This record gives sequence, structure tokens and C-alpha cells, in this order.
Amino acid sequence: MEDDTISPSSTLSTLRHRKGHSTDTSLDTSTTPPPPQQDDEDQDEQDTKKQQRPPYNPQRGFDAMLLLVTFMAFFTRCWNIGDPAQVVFDEVHFGKFASYYLRREYYFDVHPPLGKLLLAAVGYAVGYDGHFLFDHIGDDYIEHGVPYVALRLLPATCGALIVPVVFLILKELGLSVAGATFGAFLIILDNSLITQSRLILLDSMLTLFCVCSIYAWIRFYKKRHVPFSFEWYFWLSMTGIALACTTGVKMVGLFTVAAVGIAVLFDLWNLLDYRRGLSLREFARHFSARALCLIFLPLVVYLAFFYVHFAILVKSGPGDAFMSPAFQDGLLGSEMNTNSSAIPFFSNITIRHRETTAYLHSHPEKYPLRYDDGRISTQGQQVTGYPHRDLNNHWTIEPVDPALYPSAAPYTPTDQETERNVRYVRPNDLVRLRHARTNSHLITHDVASPLTPTHMEMTTIPANDTNRYNETLWKIQLVADDSSDKLWSKRAHFRLVNAIHNVAVHCHKGQLPDWGFGQQEVNGNKALKEANNVWWIDQVEHARIINGTEIGEPIIDPKTQPQKPTLPFLSKFVELQSLMFAHNAGLTKPHPYSSTPITWPFVLRGISFWERKAGLRQIYLLGNPLIWWLSITGTVMYAAMWIMDRILLRRGIDDFGPIRTWWDNAIGFLFVTWLTHYLPFFLMGRMLFLHHYLPSFIFSVLVLVCTLEFCFVRVWSLSQRKKSVLRPSRTYVMLTSLIVVGAAWGYWYFAPLTYGIGFESVPSLQSRKWLSSWDLQHA
Amino acid sequence: MTDWYPNDGLRKRAPIGVANTGAAYAPVDEDPQDREDDKTFKPQRRPQMVPIWPTTTQQWIIPALLSVAALFTRLYKIGSADFVVWDEAHFGKFAGHYIKRRFYFDVHPPLGKMINGLAGFIAGFNGTFEFESGHQYPQELNYTVMRIVNALFGAAMIPLAYFTAIQLHFSKPASFLMAIMVLCDIALMTISRFILLDSMLLFFTTLSVFCLTVFRNLQRTAPFSKEWWTWLFATGVSIGAVASVKWVGLFAVALVGLHTIEDLWEMLGDLKMPPSHYARHWMARIAGLILTPIAIYLFSFVIHFAILNRSGPGDAQMSSLFQAHLLGNDFDQNPLELAYGSKVTLKNNGHGGGLLHSHVQRYPTGSEQQQVTCYHHKDSNNDWIITKPWGEEKQSGFGDEIEFVKDGDLIRLVHAQTGRNLHSHSVKAPVTTSQNEVSCYGNSTLGDANDLWKVEKVDDMVDRQSPRIRSLTTRFRLRHNLQGCLLRSHAVSLPQWGFKQAEVVCQKNGDPNNRNHMWNIEQHWNDDLPPGGKGAYRSKFLKDFIDLNVAMWTSNNALTPDPDKEPDALTSKPYQWPLMLVGLRMCSWADDARKFWLIGNPVVWWGSTASLVTFLLVLGIYGIRWKRRYSDWERPGTWDNFYFAGKIGFVGWVLHYAPFWIMGRVTYLHHYFPALYFAIITFTFLADHLASKLPGPLHFTAISLLGLLVVSNFVYFQDFAYGFTGPAHEYRNRKWVSSWNLHD
Repeated sequence: MEDDTISPSSTLSTLRHRKGHSTDTSLDTSTTPPPPQQDDEDQDEQDTKKQQRPPYNPQRGFDAMLLLVTFMAFFTRCWNIGDPAQVVFDEVHFGKFASYYLRREYYFDVHPPLGKLLLAAVGYAVGYDGHFLFDHIGDDYIEHGVPYVALRLLPATCGALIVPVVFLILKELGLSVAGATFGAFLIILDNSLITQSRLILLDSMLTLFCVCSIYAWIRFYKKRHVPFSFEWYFWLSMTGIALACTTGVKMVGLFTVAAVGIAVLFDLWNLLDYRRGLSLREFARHFSARALCLIFLPLVVYLAFFYVHFAILVKSGPGDAFMSPAFQDGLLGSEMNTNSSAIPFFSNITIRHRETTAYLHSHPEKYPLRYDDGRISTQGQQVTGYPHRDLNNHWTIEPVDPALYPSAAPYTPTDQETERNVRYVRPNDLVRLRHARTNSHLITHDVASPLTPTHMEMTTIPANDTNRYNETLWKIQLVADDSSDKLWSKRAHFRLVNAIHNVAVHCHKGQLPDWGFGQQEVNGNKALKEANNVWWIDQVEHARIINGTEIGEPIIDPKTQPQKPTLPFLSKFVELQSLMFAHNAGLTKPHPYSSTPITWPFVLRGISFWERKAGLRQIYLLGNPLIWWLSITGTVMYAAMWIMDRILLRRGIDDFGPIRTWWDNAIGFLFVTWLTHYLPFFLMGRMLFLHHYLPSFIFSVLVLVCTLEFCFVRVWSLSQRKKSVLRPSRTYVMLTSLIVVGAAWGYWYFAPLTYGIGFESVPSLQSRKWLSSWDLQHA
Repeated sequence: MTDWYPNDGLRKRAPIGVANTGAAYAPVDEDPQDREDDKTFKPQRRPQMVPIWPTTTQQWIIPALLSVAALFTRLYKIGSADFVVWDEAHFGKFAGHYIKRRFYFDVHPPLGKMINGLAGFIAGFNGTFEFESGHQYPQELNYTVMRIVNALFGAAMIPLAYFTAIQLHFSKPASFLMAIMVLCDIALMTISRFILLDSMLLFFTTLSVFCLTVFRNLQRTAPFSKEWWTWLFATGVSIGAVASVKWVGLFAVALVGLHTIEDLWEMLGDLKMPPSHYARHWMARIAGLILTPIAIYLFSFVIHFAILNRSGPGDAQMSSLFQAHLLGNDFDQNPLELAYGSKVTLKNNGHGGGLLHSHVQRYPTGSEQQQVTCYHHKDSNNDWIITKPWGEEKQSGFGDEIEFVKDGDLIRLVHAQTGRNLHSHSVKAPVTTSQNEVSCYGNSTLGDANDLWKVEKVDDMVDRQSPRIRSLTTRFRLRHNLQGCLLRSHAVSLPQWGFKQAEVVCQKNGDPNNRNHMWNIEQHWNDDLPPGGKGAYRSKFLKDFIDLNVAMWTSNNALTPDPDKEPDALTSKPYQWPLMLVGLRMCSWADDARKFWLIGNPVVWWGSTASLVTFLLVLGIYGIRWKRRYSDWERPGTWDNFYFAGKIGFVGWVLHYAPFWIMGRVTYLHHYFPALYFAIITFTFLADHLASKLPGPLHFTAISLLGLLVVSNFVYFQDFAYGFTGPAHEYRNRKWVSSWNLHD
């Protein structure tokens, strides 16, 4: 963004004129009328101007090519889209989520709602009611009457629209018609983008919004000599909205935000330059316009997606269990409303662990005398966490006896309790838990737990043993303060804290060895605040409670139940967003097709989406190797040439002269965008897949195309002292056509894997297996 | 009062805005257009060098005082805890190994541990005490001397910090403040008073920074002078030493490296510098800052191997040949040639390879058969019996003829402890899922063709002709008979269910020349064969060096937190450090025990963290002012010095802190200490810079107040460093943050 022309006030000359390029007046602004702010003048600007100057007018070429590439894009994405008529790969997830929207049942997913909302909107428009849940890969669509073609057409349309947007990006960057068409064709002919666009997946939407953000930003940037004009504001806001949409589909949209953010900071930094002649007041105006349109506006739009999300999903559904009790309270038909009851003492209850949903369990088997590591236990009765329903999950809740534990708070019954002749468990009560089948009380003592020696062992003692009475007392400590004076089942989340040892009942996923039947370890944890210490009461059995409702309490019918006042929107959003982050980071379970980022650009491996033995059919996500290898070569070449140029410049050798601005700013921006969409994956701990690279791939193609354009058009024009920089040479057209022909061959060659149409013979399939690491199923 | 200020001389001589320091010394991020006048070259006037050492007796007073204070604080009551505190359990034990000359294995490079060994030697330690955590020191062990050696390194940091500050052009009061902050930080002091590696690590880090600053100042004033060469090599030696104590020292190496690259980049733009001159700069740095540190690092291993010439607990980490030359092992009892019925242990030849191992635990995934791993300790689960394939077993009887194993034979390997056969099948391996799983399966009667492996001899150090397999010297591959894959072990650790042992897989299309696919017989028992005697062969140093470093790397990576277990009280997370949210209990917290609590000086820690943020802010403001053409840096050299000190402090801090966010291994509070030193530099630098905008006396007062605050906090918290007895909650007033684990 350095100035190409030196303002008269500046007496400084630049290095770049040393080799005599300054004699090339065609590139100087002196031939064009000076714009209002000459300082702001930039190479891109001049390019656009020159485009419109006769005799070379590429506009018609651009229009024609735009039509052509758009048509080609739709054709490649939509051809044979109804085949296979089965659930493929992650359609299992995203199809299901669309169905939940149409059923208005609450679900939980790690991705923000926009992509799935759009899918649901399409489903709604074609009259789909969400009856099908996409449970298994391979389930038949036609049999179940799912309008899957309509659903698939949305991602396909988005995938196809990427192409014209890329074409326009290249046009705005000042490429020739040949260059822009070349770039668009590389995107059209890439097999991986096609595969990813033809199924009910989110990536094509993500990528479309991502390239739209970049396009809008470029349009905005090119309007910088008319700041605060309508167009300027329009493109600035469009950038912000597109960014919000990108992030609204998947959180990786934040990488696009980072790319634009870097460009904004760079731009602002240059605006600060005193030679721009902006007063600090004007600068503040620039700053606040950007903050408004690129921070505030996207935030509002992003929140709006969640608002719609919550507004649609009003019924209880599969996602309930992820949310807090207060959140679930607001869902229609939630068990939290229909089946929650106060708990009278001496009820038979089951207690469940919040994080792992296991039941607190005990059985007559004892801890072994000696563990594998040589430690000795007390051989007490085992207490474990068990995920299934079982009679051994039942505990009787008993009050503390003031006679045996004098420091217990005195109990005074309320009017209601006297009237009903029961005593309800209250928050902060001291209680004892008697295991119903073995008639023994839950206790902890200062003995190391079997798997976690830093924690205390949890066991039971016979009901008649009063010597250790105090150690069997547990205080019910609510996690969130509740105004209620009763402990409610299903709804109240609490910790059980031992009255003597001050440890909380703790459970985790760690499995006990064979002697504990592989059940989960339960122990006493000194760190009370840990998430794994939280429990809730599931079933309550008591004479007064019938079908989950106590006698005397109103029966709540899920269908007619009046909707409870729900949480404020922002609390819901914060809760959901933090859960999304936590679960996203927790996606570490190995997947057979996960891969590491370093392998992505080199097409070392793909992902098998679907396969069928008959007809040797397989849908395999695989980049067009020719395009992928070429694009990564081009990207690395750009970086190498950039470094070389800087070293030469440092030695006072200036080869690029006036075209360096474009070299640095236009291609540099694309290169940085490639980096921001790629590098962060190296730091991520979660499972990663090839399709995470697709947005970066597009930018690496753009870097390749621009680098070739630079070498064959701009450098060439510079050396020929041509008046017009933009008329591409015949060599360039030949070269790009040749590459496109090669890419088209690659597309055609791998098309059977892309569209899953199958092969005639095993040898023809085997010949596709260029690398041994490609998992072609039937080869 | 001028005496307080850095003696850079120029500010008095050069009229404002006239002097030209030359392109090499101009601000780096200045617009090239602004330096246009640089191209009309004038004879360069060099800035004057800041004296490295004080020249007058008077100037020695401050460093001398600081040294006395340092020695006093570090040595006071150093022997008060007569029991093994915290990681003394490790490093004391390692010192014992050096004295006993027994080979041991540890994740850290040897230099620091050898110094501790030397300290033990000085203390007259005989190596018998095992340094079990919390145990009382025996009468005859003069542990105080060993701790004093550590404390001396810690004490040396303080005068070094002072001299560094002087070289960074801080004012005298600020230099004094920096030394005081290092002196009075409780954490830096506590960690220096025990038998650990940290005091040496911190000392060499401090030394590296000092050498770098001196070298940089000489680079500006007198390149290629004798002094310049001296300090160049001193920097090299110092970064070599810091990396030889702990690998985190590599962050200091990175700091020096980045500075050097920038320096060379600056000189590249100096068009009047002749290329030969520039090439000399490169050569000098390659010799001083690359080759010298590597030599130091290698040399520390040479000594390490030379001292540890006896068999010890770390044997199994090394190659069989390395072990063979250690004194005190029984490899000379190995029969020479392998026969059917022999019981053997199999060593993987990859760098850091272990012994083929199996145990009763099963794979939780895949076939769920018995696990096969590579293990780096010797136990009877490493023993395998060489057996004929199914159906060819001879009935064992008296007087059978010995049948030797030959190249190309099909064998079955029976795990001696469980009687199961080494087995592989086309089931995905647990971690490297692209390869086949290897398990133990069946028993002496149950089995199938998947239990058969073909022996492929690669070479033999002694006898190349014979097809027989020799103990130790023959390398061979084991090829699975049905799948054709190669038995492989590599530096991939299994998760907790596999006890973090190395994974063993069957490599499809394995490269036959890959060392991970090669094995040798390490120990060999066969009652029917005579012992082979001791061979004269030994491994090469470089191979041993690489083996050991790979093993260190693998073990270091295996120190990951176990997701199934809750974090224990000792570990902490990087985000907690700069905010000082955690302390670390170094020993038993019983009421009557002498307790040491590792916690920083709040003023130093919070102050330094705040200064890092403020530094960015100040930098931003200067950046904006520069863009708006305010001239803040007219006096020549001032921007240079600001930039350099800021870079050393801030970039040094980032380099020593940020990597811990990415590291997968468990992290502890003391990992922050080197970063803290750089944060202290930033704090002092910024305080000095901002205070220098005030009139002289206020400048002095501001710096002094900060110093007083540091000292008073030190006094208040000192008991945690010197040890306290009685219930910890008596100190509850000092629990300033609720997450400090001072008392329960």
C-alpha cells in the first residue's frame, strides 16, 4: 500500500526508480487526470481505469466468461445429483439437524446454526416435515419419502456460486480476462470441491460466504478514495455481513475474520501516515466506521442466527441433556417440567452423574485387598458409576439424626409439610444415603481410591454400624443458587459433600479393572468445585408420588403445558456458545479418515464418503491432483519469489519497480488469507479432516493464478514497455489453456470417484490409485 | 546526577538530528523513503562502547553490595531442611549415579546434572543414598554443600542482571532495581536453594542475555575487534550451556538466533559494506553461534558417557552394543549363536528403540488381544523363546542336536511369561491405524499361520558370511509370513492403557533399510550353548548420542497429562503463571513439617506482567506518533537502544512463555522462571523509560519506591522460601489470592 507517486511536498525519491523504470510514463499517473486525493492513488486503481480505456475493452469478455463459468459450475455440481439416493457420510448429521428444525425439537451441535437453518428452510419450502432422522449411512431416501434432491441442491448451488465469486475476485484484482477465466476453471474442475458440494453438508456454504467476504472487502478497499460514500459503506457492511454468515455456518469462519482483520489493521496503519493528510479526527471516523461495520454489525447478525435458532427450537428434544436446568426449563415438554417433583425423605431415589450420565451404583462385591500397584484397600463394598438402569442404583435418602450428630441444624416443618405429613429434602440439608439392596450407608474415609490415589475411597458400611455415623453424612450443595426451599428431582444439580472429610462424591470416565466389572470409578474429591462432582436426582419412588407427580401438585401435560418464562436470550446464547467450544475441542476421538494438516495440500489421502460393491462404486473425497499440486507449487513459489525480491531490494537491486505494489498487496493479501485459513489447524487438538483445507485451497489457487498473471502479463509488459498492462500475451493464453486442458483431463479421470458412478473393471479403478495411501475401496 | 545515566557519550557531542548512524543502525521498521539520505555515505561515526566492567573502585561498590546480598539471601539457613525436598529426589539421585558411575536415563541433557554430581563429589557423597522424596538425609551426606553449589549459580544471577542492565543502557538506579527484583523474587530464590537444575538454567539464561547485549554493543562500536570475538564466542558457549542443562534453554538460543538474523538483515542493507566483509560476519556467526553451541552440547554428552561406564538403571534406553561395553552387565554370558529353544530379548534398532515386550493387559481396541509393545526397562516380560513353526516342533528329549536359526528360517516367538505367540493380522494398529496390529495370541497348542515370522538377516558386525544369527552383532528383520509386513517399533507412545510404552506394528510395504524394522538379540540364554565371552565391539558416539536424544524426546513427549485422571496439585497451566494464580507445595504439608512454598514476589510477578501489556501500549503510541511525524527519537542511538532493550525483554518473554501453550506435556510453575527474568527486564526497562520523562530527582524517587516495594514484599513473604513450621493456616493473611494452595 505504499504510494506509487510521490507527493510534491515530499523530497524523497524511492529505490524503485533506480533502474530507470521511471521512464515508463504509461504507468505513471501523469497520463490520467489526478483524482481528488492523489496520495491515495494505487496501482489497482489505474488498472481498472485502463480497462475502460479504448481500444482494449475487456468488459464484454468478462461478461461472456462470467456466464460461461457460472454455467459450467452449475453443470459440474448438479449433474446426477440424485444419485445415490441414500444417506451419505455426514448427511447423517446435517440432514438430521434440518429435520429437527422442521420438528422444532431442540438438538445440540458444535456448529453455529446458519447452515442448518438454510437447509431446513429449503426443506420447509418443498414441504418436507422432518419425519426422517438420517440415522444410518446407506438408508434409502426414496423409500422414506425425503425430498433429498432439493436439500442437496442448496449446497450444490452454493458450491457453484463459489466459481463466479472467485471469477469476480480475480477481475477486481485487475487480472486479465484470460487470467480470471483460468482461475475460475481451476475451481470448476476440482473434484474435491464438487464432491463436497453435492451432498447435504455445510462446507460449500462456508466456502461461499468466505469468498464473498473477501470479494466484498476488495470492493470496499477499491473504494477507499471516496471514503464514507454510499458505495463505500455498502461494501464495508457487506464485508461484515458476509463474515457473520461465514462464522454462522462454522466457527472456522473466524479465520476469515482474522484475514480481513489483518487487512483492516494494515489499511488503518497506512491511513495514519501523515502524508495521507488525515487529521486524527478524520482517522477516528475511519476507525469507528470499521468498528461499526466489521465488529458490531457482524456480531448482531451472528446473534440473530441464534435468535432464530432458539425461536424455532421450542420443544424438548435430543439436545436437552447438554443444557443447564434453567435452559431446559424453557423447552416445551421437557421432563424437567413434567416429571420434576420435590423429594420427601425416605424416598427411593436414583442419582445420576451430570458429566457422564452414570448412575451412582453399589453392589455386594468388595474392593480387592491388594491393587495391581501393590496398594492395600479396606476391602469395603464397591461404589461405582454404572450407565444402565439397575436395581442396585437405588438409594434411600434419610435425614440426619440430631441425637447422633448434635451440630446438625434444627428442623422446623413448614405448614405444607405438616399438612401433608412429609418432610422434604432441602438444599444444604445433611442426608444419609442407604443403598436399598444391601442395606448399607454411603461413606468415605481416608483411604486412597483404587485408580486415583489422591482421592478418597468411597464405600458403604452396614446400616446398624453407628460408630462411624458422622462419616456417612452428606451435605447437599446446589451448584446454582435456587430460591426454592425444596430439592427438586431432574432439575436441581448438586454436589454431595461429606460432613467430616469435606470431599465431594466424584465420578469420572476411568474404568475399574475386571474386579469392578469395568464400571466407572467413584471417589471423594477434595477439590469441591470440579465439574465431575455434580449429580442430579432422576427417579423418585415414594407413596405420595404417582407418575412423577406428587399428590396435591398440579399434573402437567406436555401438550397443553403453558410455556414457562425462559432464560433471557443472551444467557442462552452464552451457554450454547461455550458448550459448542468445549465440545468442539473435545472432538478428539480417532476417526479412520482423519488426517494431519501437513498432508492436506499434497493430496496424500482422501475421505471415503460412500461405497457399494456392485458396480465398483465409491464416492471418495479427493482433490484433482494436478490442480492441487500445481496450486501448492504456485503458493510456495510466490513465497520464495517474495523473499528473493526483498533480499535483492535490500541490496538496492530493484527488478519489479512500479508493479511491486500489486505483487505485495494483491497477491500478498491472498497469500495471508491462505495462511490464516491453514496455519491455525496446526495448533488444534481436535480431529481434523481433509475438507477443512478447502477454503485455503481456493486461496492457494488464487495465489497461483495471480503469480502466473504477474509473471506472464505484468512483468512482461514491464519489460516490453507496453502501454497496456492488461492485454495478455499469446504465450500466456496458451499456457493457461494447456493447464486447463490438463486439469479437465484430471477431472474427467477422477470423476467416477467424485460422482460415485462406478468403474467398469477393477484394473481401471486400480489405475486411479496413484498413491498407495488413497483408500480406494475395491481396488 | 549524570553519573546515573548510561554513558553513551554521543548525546553530548552530536547536535540534534544531524548525526547519521548509518543504515545498519537505523530503526528497522522505518520507511525506506525516510532513509533516503543514507545513500550519500559519510564516514561513519560510531557510538561509544559502554564499559563492560566498572573501571573505578567506586563503581564496584554497587555490584559488590549486590553480590554480598545475593550470597547472603541464597545461603542463609540453606541446610534448614534436613530432608529430601521435591525434585531433589531426582537430581540428587542422578548425582549419586555419576558418583557410582552407573548409567541412568533422564529426559534432561546432562550438563546440569553433572554439575550436581560434581557438587556431590565435593561434598564427599558416596552415592549410596537413594534420595527418596521426603526422607531424612543421612549423617554422612553433606547435602548443604550440594545445595550451596546450586545457590552459587542462583546468586551469580544478581550481579549479572545488574551488568546486563548497564549494557542495555538503563540508568544506574534502574539497573540497581533490576538486580533487586531478581534478588528479592521469592520464587527465583527458593528454586536456587535446592539440588535442582533450575538455578543453573537460570544462570546460563542470564549469562546468555548478558553476553548477547555486550556483543551487540561491540557490534555497533568495534566489530571484529578482539573483544568482539571474545564475546561472540562467550555468547555461543553460554547458549550451548543453557541448552545442555534443559531443553527449554533452546528458547534462549532462539532469542540469540532471531537477533542474529535481524542483525545480518540490517547489514545486508548496508550497501557500502563490501561483500567480503559481510561474508566474514556470516562466517563468524556460524562459527560462534552455531558450531560452538553444538560442540558444547555434544561435549557434555561425551563427558556424560565417559563418566557413566557401568551398567545402571538406564541401560535399556540404549542400543545393545552400547550396553555391551558397560561394566557390570552379563552380556558376556550370552551364547554366541541363536538356536531353537533359546530364550532371548529383542532390541529394536531404531533411534531410542526398546525391547520387544508383552504383558497380560489387552488392547482396548482392534482385536482386543494381548498387547505387544516396546519397553525401555528390563523385566521378564521382555523374554521370548525361539520356537519352530507349527507342526515342526521336535519332541524335546535328552541329547537332541542343537539346531541354529538361519537367515530365512520361519520361526515362532513365544512370550515366556504368558506362553502366547507373537501374532499379527490385518487389524488396524491402535495408534498408527494405517498399519497392522501386532499382538500375542494363543498358547503352545492353539495358534495359526499368523504366528510365523521369517528371519531376514541384514548384516553382522563380525561375521558377514554365516547365515546364522549372532547375539548383539547381527541385525535382522522379522517379516510376517502371511502378510509380508515387517515387525516395527517407532517413537509413538501408546495411551495410558498401554502404560505409555512404544507402539509395535507390522509395517506394510516396509522399507527394508529402515532401522525401525531392524532388530538384534540383546540377551540370550540357552543352557545347551557355551557363553560367547566379551566382544571388543562398541557403538559409535554419534549413534549413542542420537539414540539418547531420541529417547529423551520420546519420554518428554510421553509426559502428557492423563485425560482420565484429574490434574494433581503440582501441575499448573501456563495461563496461571503470569497472573501468579498458583503456588507449589514443595514438600509435606503436615503441621510439624518444615514447609517450602514456591510462590513469587507479587510486586515482581504482577508488576512484570503489567509491564508487558504496557510495553505493547507504549510501542503502539510511539508507532502512531512516528506515523504522524512526531520526532521522539532525534538523539542518535536512542531509538536503537529502546528497540533493542524492548526486543530482548518482550521477545525473550514471548519465546520463553508462548511455547508452553502449545506443548502437550504437563507443565509446572517453575517452567515460567526463565520467562520471568525477561519480564523483569521489560519491567525495569519500561519503568526507567517512563520515569526518565520526569525531572531527574523524580526519576530517582520513582525507581527507589519501586525498589522499596519489592524489598518489603520480599520481607513479608520470605518465610515461604526459608521454610516455616507450624500449621500453614497461620499464614492465612498472606494468602492474597483464593486459588493459592497455601493452606487447605
